[in-house]
Amino acid sequence: MEKATVVVIGGGATGVGILRDLAMRGVDVMLVEKQDLVNGASSRYHGLLHSGGRYAVKDQEAARECIEENMILRKIGRSCVEASGGMFVRLDSDDPDYEQQWVQGCKDSGIEATPITLAKAFELEPLLSKHVVSAYLVPDAAIDGFRMSWQNVDSAKRYGGRVKTYTEVVGVIKENNEVHGIKIRDYFTGEEYEIGCDILVNAAGGWAGKVAELAELEVGVQPDKGTLIAFNQRITNHVVNRLHKSSDGDIFVPHGSITILGTTSMSVPSAEDTSTSREEVEHLLSIGEMTFENLRNYRMLRAFAGSRPLYMPPGGASGRGASRGFAIVDHEKQDGLKGMFTIVGGKFTTYRLMAERMADQVCAKLGNKEKCRTAEEPLVPEVSEEAKKAARKYFPAYGTDLAATRLGPERFARVTETLARDPEKRELLCECENVTRGEVEEMAKELSSFRINDIRRRTRLGMGTCQANFCALRSASVFAKVGRDEAARDSLGQMKEFLQGRWKGIRPVLLGRTIREMEMTRALYELSFNVNGGEKE
Amino acid sequence: MKHSDVIVIGSGVAGMTAALASAQQGKSVTLLTYGASSLSLNSGLIDILAFDDEHKAVKSPLEGIKSLPADHPYSKIGADYVEKAVEFFCAFAKKYHLPYHGSLNSQMMVPTAVGTLKPTCLAPHSLSGSESFVGKKKVVVVGVKGLKDFYADIMIQNLKKAMGEELSYESVEIDTGIEGGRDLTILDVARWLDTPKGVDSFTEQLKSYKGQTETVLIVPQILGTSGHACYLTVASRMETDVVETTGLPPSTNGLRLQAIFRQALKDNGVEFVENTKVIGAREEGGRCTGVIAQAGIRQKVYTADKYILATGGFYSGGITMRDFEQPREEVFGLPVFFVKGEENWSNAELFSNKPQGYAKTGVLTDENLRPVDENGKLVLENVYVVGRDLGGYDLCFEHSGNGVALASGYKAAQM
Repeated sequence: MEKATVVVIGGGATGVGILRDLAMRGVDVMLVEKQDLVNGASSRYHGLLHSGGRYAVKDQEAARECIEENMILRKIGRSCVEASGGMFVRLDSDDPDYEQQWVQGCKDSGIEATPITLAKAFELEPLLSKHVVSAYLVPDAAIDGFRMSWQNVDSAKRYGGRVKTYTEVVGVIKENNEVHGIKIRDYFTGEEYEIGCDILVNAAGGWAGKVAELAELEVGVQPDKGTLIAFNQRITNHVVNRLHKSSDGDIFVPHGSITILGTTSMSVPSAEDTSTSREEVEHLLSIGEMTFENLRNYRMLRAFAGSRPLYMPPGGASGRGASRGFAIVDHEKQDGLKGMFTIVGGKFTTYRLMAERMADQVCAKLGNKEKCRTAEEPLVPEVSEEAKKAARKYFPAYGTDLAATRLGPERFARVTETLARDPEKRELLCECENVTRGEVEEMAKELSSFRINDIRRRTRLGMGTCQANFCALRSASVFAKVGRDEAARDSLGQMKEFLQGRWKGIRPVLLGRTIREMEMTRALYELSFNVNGGEKE
Repeated sequence: MKHSDVIVIGSGVAGMTAALASAQQGKSVTLLTYGASSLSLNSGLIDILAFDDEHKAVKSPLEGIKSLPADHPYSKIGADYVEKAVEFFCAFAKKYHLPYHGSLNSQMMVPTAVGTLKPTCLAPHSLSGSESFVGKKKVVVVGVKGLKDFYADIMIQNLKKAMGEELSYESVEIDTGIEGGRDLTILDVARWLDTPKGVDSFTEQLKSYKGQTETVLIVPQILGTSGHACYLTVASRMETDVVETTGLPPSTNGLRLQAIFRQALKDNGVEFVENTKVIGAREEGGRCTGVIAQAGIRQKVYTADKYILATGGFYSGGITMRDFEQPREEVFGLPVFFVKGEENWSNAELFSNKPQGYAKTGVLTDENLRPVDENGKLVLENVYVVGRDLGGYDLCFEHSGNGVALASGYKAAQM
């Protein structure tokens, strides 16, 4: 039987953070995730690195945690953070008293909020509504949840951490009120087997209640769905927050060439519910256009939703009223089951802190005296300027820096070598996100790549303007050729599955220019390729 | 102010067919067009009807048309006009050295760049597909070194599924010797094959297959940028069948079709006005009295006795929908049919056995292709609507795009 001292369940930001932290302290640790990494809330959010301003009035502790972690993540995850800065704007319809409380709240929590003139605000954000009456700058930023998580894993692996994706926990093995391991199921083969461990950490986010049930325990998690819209333009330069009591649809986050608007807040029965609807889109637009009046004239790329795993201590508040803080449950203390912890709640910005607190408790049990080092050491070493300079000859224009940040130093060196050796690998597979054939092949060969979507999350392939119009064919062909798994050979199936994934997000925003784009996709794949009828009966 | 007999708005297959057929009747025709047409994205194949509403394969497109619901464009056009339009098209294409063949009574199966077979009715000789496969024993997929969007290995993998394991399959790669700082496209290779040197090199590299009459060579759409001369040269030198596939844009065959349309329009005296966006119309007493076009900073009014709208529906921006359930026809503000309700607007599955509701959005017409409102009342008596602006059909699902465009364009010209 495979064994690890600690098994972490859940490959979201919290889980990978714990994996890295424990691995760095020399603990033998393995993470299991039922799908690909960041399949849950950690990839289905704003991508906002909070300054804490959002919480400055209601939750000072969360605000302080945010600003501290914000500064740490900028340092350790430089290639994951786009330091755009943030702006809080109050509209003439918003309560002026709240502004006063907010200014005081930021001061008390140590968040630098700099008032600026309206002239300056319009200079920095020319598309802002003329109903804006006051504006402040704060250190908000955008952060790439996919990349951050993979870099945590890459870092953990250097210290011996292990990861199994597409591996679902189906049972907890315990004896005499003590955890001895887990039973898992391979997502693809259905094969079940066991992994032994001394300590089990349940970091399954929205699914934490289900995992607890496997050990016959109860953990209150209320999935709270938030829907977001991705626009195909950079509407803002800064993260723009509405300066009022936190509500739906009042944050715009610029990422690369797109902007994300969100979010809503709605209790849902299951974390699996990532559905979105026309009503939610309409709701977000109607609020968003108060801050940016021209909003409806921009092309929407897609809508998506994720669930915040809100921790529900008995008798607590729900929805927006519920705490965004996190909780650690030691099931030995609470339920008398030795060797099991649950960590739940929190937010992406504070994932590292959550991991540190969790790892502290685990290490205390193990008698491990190592100090947490995750706040000091960068997630991945930077790609050197020298290496980038040498690579510029082979990468597409503007593509070198993007590839360097996506790949990290080792993979970047390998891909550079491939492109240098074989000019055909320089072909741009995804023009929107500047991804070369060489890079896609590199990722397709990884043990964690089972479908094109797994490669997408690593490279951003198919996530840009054309939403896979061109790269669905190209990536399917690469995957069929170099993918390790048998399923990769099914090029038509892979292609259809990839396009179907894009379609899910496009459906709720199927209006305006999005319809034109979709008609092109169908004209190519349905008409020119007959993928919907091409197989022999 | 210049006055024409007919004004056509739009230069896709529907608009150009309408303009050409009108001009051949001796009418003065002005064609107003804005931006590049979508012909470079268009396979250039004439699909008439390949799947019914339940996604069952239609064996005879002509028979299939006859059983369509009354609000389908083909039901308005009528099978007679479809037949006449096909005759008209084939005669014109032949005259301009891009002969098409095929039949309204059966489907031809054309290989695609992913190795599936695509049903169609009319295709130029270079894309004639299944007819070239009869009696063959070997399929050779010809790739081109460095060419984007053509992958011999996945083609073979899927061709085996579509055509069976009894044939033998292999691939070969041609080197064009083209070097440069960017990816090689289909058009680069087609231009190379436009030159005698390119054809010589290409056939020389394939000489081991020469005279193998039981072999069919499958190539990307690279056999020249115009007409079928390059195809004829290559096929006769190889002494065997050569078949092109459909593929990702740019579609060389779509551009070949566009080129002959443009030449024919010129030869027939059609005034072709480019970069002119028609932004509105003048109406009086239920008739259109002129269309307002924006060219650069100037506006200009064009007048005619008859107006044919071929602005390409959602696909080309002729119909827009800025807000849910509020479609707009951009030139005349015609009533637009659409499927109401979120659950009917689209399917959860992108590819399934149901059409997409949103794709049926468009203008409804009378039997003469003139726009009507939701009560069937005529809106403008001298305006005709063709191609993708027509409502009531999902052309991607049923594979009827260029067929409806061709037949409606032809019929509108006769009215």
